Amino acid sequence: MEAGQYRPLQDEDIQAIHEVSVRLLRDPGIKVNSREALEEFARGGAEVDRQEMMVRIPRSMLEDAIDAAPSRVVLCGREEKHDLVLEGKRTYLGTGGTVLNVLDLETGARRPSTLQDVRDLARLVDALDNVHFYMLPVYPNDLPVEEVDVNRFFAALSNTTKHIMGGVYTTEGVRGVIRMAEEISGGPEKLRARPIISMVTCVMSPLLMDATYAGLLMEVARRGIPVVCPAEPLAGATGPCTLAGTVAISNAESLAGLVLAQLVNRGTPTILGTVATAMDMKTGSYLSGNVEMGLINAACAQMAQYYRIPIYATAGMSDAKIPDVQAGYEKMATAMLAALAGANFIHDAAGFLEFCTTASYEQMVIDDEIIGICMRAVRGIEVNEETLAEHVIREVGSGGNFLANMHTMRHCRTEFFQPRVGDRQNRKAWEKEGSLDAAQRARAVAREILSGHRPVPIEEDVLNTLRKEFPALRID
Amino acid sequence: MSTNNELIEAIRYNVIQGRRNKDDEGLEDELTGRPGVEELVREALDKGVPLQDILLRGLSEGMQVVGEKFERKEYFIPDMLAAAEAVGTVMDILEPHLVKEGRQPRGKFVLATVENDQHDIGKNIVGIMLKGAGFQVVDLGISVPSATIVEAVRREEANFVGLSALLDTTMRFMEKTVKGLEAAGLRDKVKVIIGGAPTSPEFAAKIGADAHCRDAFAAVATAEKMAAGSM
Repeated sequence: MEAGQYRPLQDEDIQAIHEVSVRLLRDPGIKVNSREALEEFARGGAEVDRQEMMVRIPRSMLEDAIDAAPSRVVLCGREEKHDLVLEGKRTYLGTGGTVLNVLDLETGARRPSTLQDVRDLARLVDALDNVHFYMLPVYPNDLPVEEVDVNRFFAALSNTTKHIMGGVYTTEGVRGVIRMAEEISGGPEKLRARPIISMVTCVMSPLLMDATYAGLLMEVARRGIPVVCPAEPLAGATGPCTLAGTVAISNAESLAGLVLAQLVNRGTPTILGTVATAMDMKTGSYLSGNVEMGLINAACAQMAQYYRIPIYATAGMSDAKIPDVQAGYEKMATAMLAALAGANFIHDAAGFLEFCTTASYEQMVIDDEIIGICMRAVRGIEVNEETLAEHVIREVGSGGNFLANMHTMRHCRTEFFQPRVGDRQNRKAWEKEGSLDAAQRARAVAREILSGHRPVPIEEDVLNTLRKEFPALRID
Repeated sequence: MSTNNELIEAIRYNVIQGRRNKDDEGLEDELTGRPGVEELVREALDKGVPLQDILLRGLSEGMQVVGEKFERKEYFIPDMLAAAEAVGTVMDILEPHLVKEGRQPRGKFVLATVENDQHDIGKNIVGIMLKGAGFQVVDLGISVPSATIVEAVRREEANFVGLSALLDTTMRFMEKTVKGLEAAGLRDKVKVIIGGAPTSPEFAAKIGADAHCRDAFAAVATAEKMAAGSM
């Protein structure tokens, strides 16, 4: 859905941030701790100091990369109805990753996440209408690291037909995941035509490309799988304290990643990204529920719209430890800002708590509702002859009512967002159902979905092939 | 040519679709222009379909399905009202036929929002729903003095009086109306049902009303029980 109603930056602000980003990439440039990436940059025309491992990117080279990268990236689901068309100001919100803990649905206690949580959270998301995609949210602590990449992606692909994006840990893992996805898609070309997976790497702040992540970025880009290269400056710590400066450095860093991706595979689907937020000046902690995060991400979305490149942004998180009131208002604030700004792929917007360290099933259900509310706001107010309803107002006349009018019957399903968790009953009915608060009601919804929902399975013959090719794969 | 059964089924279906007549669009696609409940009931009467079948198998069963859909949250209030209006419209057409067959109507309601209170959406919904359930409804409107209500009950020989108030400053006029009915010697001839945001079962008991209903659905259920003599 098209958004863009919220624009924290004026046109001249966008221009100013762009100019700072261009100047920073030219001088001092970005440190690249990968020999292979350094050579790619040198071949592409950057000024490379191999001693200091510094890359200075000229304006023309940056502009060329921006031109080469597609303005529209379609991230597909196993079912077409879940396709995400990332372009312009279209916005989607979904899960994020990766965290190490989960609040157990039965006990409420915090425990290390497992592969079963990757499966169950995927199944839950599959049944929730408003969560648009499934980014691998938790780390399977029960697996050895070399088995993590393929198993995480498989656990997700086999439990939801929504698009799967994930972080990756090893080059071998990237190759395995792509081979597996090709098998599920029906071949390498089919996967490129309809990418059911995409991958995230990262650029370090300030102005640093780490060897491992640069390697992973090049590997994914070479294989023509959609790739995100987000930056994560923390205002006041790894970015300047001021929001404008943090937007500028995040923008510059992500653009550097985009340049590298375009150098190794010109035209490959590349998505700009930001995970920028601030550090708490009182405790030194990373923050995820601060309203400034919403402002920064909305501004970064405006920058990406200026370049006509899709963006992966971050919003809808909270620093609360449980699904409480704080979780509700913090999440709504940043999710609403980023969505109204038209950030294309807003991750971390479903299921997380506690500074992006803990996943929660009931929070996922609540966040589904928050996303639904945000999307209704994004849809805005439709104005035309039918919605202005002049003839209906005339027909009802003075002192009548609209409730029994056909026009009401026609629009009452689509004009209003209908909550699933939010309680709109009178007190008596609410008391009769046990006087439950929102988190308790959400827990009941999560339990109900997990006890009954069966996602569209992967075909048995594909599973058989996967069993042979990937002995480490845990197929349940 | 439609058989009797097809006609009754069509009536039932169009009640569920909330289509009073051919101009209504209903919930499913491309129904506009096809006969609605009104046209179908007229055709059924022309063909001599027994009244009993039109009423029970067509209208009542249709409304029952609508009620179930509403309970399951599949239908919204406007859908329910559209169906009730469709039934209410044809009840006016059926009435002379019912009288001819010597059938007793379900009962007659006098409805009013009490003195000094201008709120009427709730009362209007109750009116539509009651008509949809086969009751006759005389709606006196808003801010109706108790003397006017008492007079209407006498004139219409009403079996029920439904009083509505939204304000806690106007609900006291309900008590005044009950007292007025007593003074006129009508209290034992009529059941008094009250409703509206500030009212409660306790308040109903206190002022000597027969029942409190929290919404239109409760009003219909209560009236049906009272009409059947079980309340």
